Amino acid sequence: MPERTVTIASAIGLHARPASLFCQAAARTGVPVILTAPSGASVNAASILGVLSLGLDHGETVTLQADGEGAEGALASLVRLLETDLDQQ
Amino acid sequence: MDDPKTSAKRSRRTISPIGGLLAPSCIAVDAHAGSVADAVRLVGTMLVAADAVDSSYVQAMLEREESISTFVGEGIAFPHATSAAQGSVHRDAIALARFPAGVDWNGQTVHVAIGIAAIGRGHIGILSQLASALLVPHAAARLRSATTPEEVLELLRSTA
Repeated sequence: MPERTVTIASAIGLHARPASLFCQAAARTGVPVILTAPSGASVNAASILGVLSLGLDHGETVTLQADGEGAEGALASLVRLLETDLDQQ
Repeated sequence: MDDPKTSAKRSRRTISPIGGLLAPSCIAVDAHAGSVADAVRLVGTMLVAADAVDSSYVQAMLEREESISTFVGEGIAFPHATSAAQGSVHRDAIALARFPAGVDWNGQTVHVAIGIAAIGRGHIGILSQLASALLVPHAAARLRSATTPEEVLELLRSTA
């Protein structure tokens, strides 16, 4: 399964605005994407509650996985989002 | 399965169990709000009354909500302020209002709003614990239909 690792760039961590923007983007890809925290816990990247439950802070490295048609493109777009400080836009 | 207290949290200070952050006086099980702003003010005012935040924190919560919705799905929203409002937080606390009639939250219907105040980066741990509690099967539905503060506390204690 294609996967990418990325470090959370948002200064406040992945919640609030960054989490909303990320989950909306994940849902828009139309591809099921799995987000895995350093702890090994995995959630549906399009679920805000799921993403919040991971408690991801700035500087933590996560893994994104997706399968099927469009998976590579979906992962690339979500990696770009997480590499951006989403609270500064 | 998903343990929220694993490596991601190791470097952070210990966070009180969620139930302990929710004073019985900060639970309104039969609330009514005509708008998102009313709902945010309601939970914010409970945090002020509990002396967890200054009154200026409520305005900061409203500004955050205008910037981006804190709706998280399952009929639940987590209103909180930006880190810019740090100075107005006295201690970690949450306040919960249940709206049996629902509140139109920018097109989504919210039945439970949980206002969050946290010192430093404590909000990440609090949000994580709340979200983990609500991801337990049926927990969100039980919270939406809880009719007493005791039920709310029991629910958050038993699942968080």
